[in-house]
Amino acid sequence: MSKLHTEEIYEGIRLHTVKTDKFKTSLININIQRPLKAEEVTLNSLLPMVLQRGTSEYTTSKEISKKLEYLYGAVLRGNVKKKGELHIIEFSLRIADSSYIEDKSLWMSAVELLNSLINRPLLEDRGFKASYVRQEKSNLDNRIQGRLNDKMQYSLDRLIEEMCKEEGFKLYEHGRQEDLPGIDATNLYSHYLRVMQDSPIDIMVVGNMDHSAVREGILKGIDFKEGSRIAPSQSRLIAAPSKEKKVLEELEINQGKLSMGYRVDIPYSDPLYPAMILYANILGGGPHSKLFIKVREERSLCYYIFAKLEKFKSIMMIGSGIEADKYDIAVEVIGQQLEEMRKGNISKEEMTNAKKAVEASIKSIGDNALAIAEFYYSQVISNPFYEMNALLEKVNKVTVDDIVAVAEKVSLDTIYFLKGRE
Amino acid sequence: MINEIYNELIKEKVFGKKLQNGLEVFFLPKKDYVKQYAIFAANYGSNDLAFKLKNEKEDIKVPEGIAHFLEHKLFEEPEGNAFDRFAQLGANVNAYTNFNITAYYFTCTDYFYDNLSALIHFVQSPYFTDENVEKEKGIIGQEIMMYRDNAEWRVFFNLLKAMYHQHPVKRDIAGTIDSVNSITKEDLYQCYNTFYHPSNMALFIAGDLEAKAVFNRVEEAFAQLKIPEADEVKLMYPQEPEDIKESHVEESMQVSIPLFHIGYKDRPLGRGGRELIQREAAVGLLIDIVFGRSSELYEELYEAGLIDQGFGVDYVCEKDYGHVIISGESKAPIAVKEIIDRKILQLQNEGLSRASFERIKRKQIGENLSYFNSIEFIGNSFITYHFKEINFLDYIKILSETSLEAVEDCMQSLLKADKQVISIINP
Repeated sequence: MSKLHTEEIYEGIRLHTVKTDKFKTSLININIQRPLKAEEVTLNSLLPMVLQRGTSEYTTSKEISKKLEYLYGAVLRGNVKKKGELHIIEFSLRIADSSYIEDKSLWMSAVELLNSLINRPLLEDRGFKASYVRQEKSNLDNRIQGRLNDKMQYSLDRLIEEMCKEEGFKLYEHGRQEDLPGIDATNLYSHYLRVMQDSPIDIMVVGNMDHSAVREGILKGIDFKEGSRIAPSQSRLIAAPSKEKKVLEELEINQGKLSMGYRVDIPYSDPLYPAMILYANILGGGPHSKLFIKVREERSLCYYIFAKLEKFKSIMMIGSGIEADKYDIAVEVIGQQLEEMRKGNISKEEMTNAKKAVEASIKSIGDNALAIAEFYYSQVISNPFYEMNALLEKVNKVTVDDIVAVAEKVSLDTIYFLKGRE
Repeated sequence: MINEIYNELIKEKVFGKKLQNGLEVFFLPKKDYVKQYAIFAANYGSNDLAFKLKNEKEDIKVPEGIAHFLEHKLFEEPEGNAFDRFAQLGANVNAYTNFNITAYYFTCTDYFYDNLSALIHFVQSPYFTDENVEKEKGIIGQEIMMYRDNAEWRVFFNLLKAMYHQHPVKRDIAGTIDSVNSITKEDLYQCYNTFYHPSNMALFIAGDLEAKAVFNRVEEAFAQLKIPEADEVKLMYPQEPEDIKESHVEESMQVSIPLFHIGYKDRPLGRGGRELIQREAAVGLLIDIVFGRSSELYEELYEAGLIDQGFGVDYVCEKDYGHVIISGESKAPIAVKEIIDRKILQLQNEGLSRASFERIKRKQIGENLSYFNSIEFIGNSFITYHFKEINFLDYIKILSETSLEAVEDCMQSLLKADKQVISIINP
């Protein structure tokens, strides 16, 4: 696998390539950077849904699907994702590598289809096709309501909503129901034009092609509009309240879902950040972690429990499924584990296990094209930029004292508990 | 002797060898991959609830959920927990139980052979005590509760319960709270001894490794273990009628929109091998042509606002049972069913178009190729097909040889109104 090759091909538009012959397919990810704000979160979310409905060349989803199938099962998807206080509109294309398929024009055909989808939408009057917008609004409405269906994720999303009430980060990545009535084919199209002109764009390409060949194909195949593309600002960190918030919600469910949110006063740019990765791993990063051993194995309180980090916000979340009447004891045992971390009661074994686990997960990125694209995108929009090896080196140098220093900066902000109705 | 199969289309090869103890071992080299992976699986799943041993008069019946319970408990060791050993070696270890298979696997980036011998060792050394069996009941109880709140899981199992009269595929994989509570250490040992003999298992390894070394190290690891003679075991499955039990089931849960599964019960072949994979490939093409993204049916349902992008279809093809399942969310599942029924009748009368057949075939060839990006996916599929007496690398070839006529035959024999079941979860 080659190193990341970055080049600004137009102002505000960067092409990043990683050359490798490991995979049977190649991948193109186009990431469009928007601010995560109430004013546009729902518009952003609706955009890829509407664009996938039809282009001026392929006027229906069915025609697009037929073309993709014909291109040996190419996969083209549009979606949105949250990265801290950034809202990323993403288009992703996967296509068979030409060394396996005789058709040498495959890649270029796929790039042209991608261009058609993002730059040549099907229009009527002065907007998108109205019936497509109407339908996708209804689909989006269902999707937002459908959050409730996955109780584990719902409970984590609700935690963030409660915890980050004053921050853009509280917004659900797919937007807000209340915005939908005000959106129509015309104002969505104006938003689209703004997005395509003003937003910084990063194109990540992973596959068996030289940077120059990729560059040529992208310049030839994709039309970018000229504009002044200014990066929206990333989030500031916010301190936890002096006394934690507690939120209780009831639904018709059998198992209680406990979600605990912590603020960690260590931004990504802080040299202590790699220690924070290890902190979360020792605490709740798998079967070797304190939470798994104490809460599940020793007390049989749960089947799953984890701690995970929200990189761009320096927020840590702990999630678990428990019996509703075991709430107090679960919160207590979890609290004890954080206390152990603060006291530096971390064995040599815990430390090496966590380092090995983090090392394996960073190295493993290289075996998955999507993970490579995702890792590098995440790197290129943060400061500082770490290559995989550099990050690994920093993680390996972390000491117990560093972990204790992290622990000092971890404070409980909100406990959210979803329980069954009695 | 190590044999070798090379597939030119996907440019991959697999080495295979049967050990003296009966275990079949496979290795797929993956040049430049950072990760190594091994999966060690028993041809034993939640469906295997009744069996007869050669020297026992009576049939043996075991509690529902026992294969899954066994999977949890095998991680237990006299000196602690198998997880610890893998954590020290920087490996990610896990396991799963489905209807037919129990599999233990790890991925790592270093110390592969140490991890491999740890895997073989812990799966081949059960350690159950009354105390550690008791402790697990609380954990599995929470796992069962978690699935009870999962609407996808419920709509799926309700469908199976309606489709099958007797077959154990209708039973929950993890069992019930009661059946799990009734499991004893003795039950676990009995199932372990019956189903975890190497001759009833397979081991698949992938990574940037050297074939000779891989097979040598596997044999060394087994040389350290005492393996008894295999007991002759006969699995007993109840006689399953061809018809469905109920055609319509509904339940309520706290969801935002109704969820539905529409299933068609298949007539099982009763054996594995080439015929099974041919049927699987033909039905795989059929359902993609009929229900896929470029189908008229999908377009009609989508345009009518009856489905969203979550709409999907899947085919399960086992030796002793099989079904097609169409799934999604809809404000009006019955309307979805009616449109499907009408469209299928129409297609059964008019036949499928050759153009869509050829196009979907191209699509699936490309899809199959992409599966070979992931060593975990390869391993998992390889093991699953192996127990159905099929080499996963052959799939792409069988797929390209499938004829439109075979696909149309499947359409007539499988998508029948009297074999159809609908399961709905209402808000």
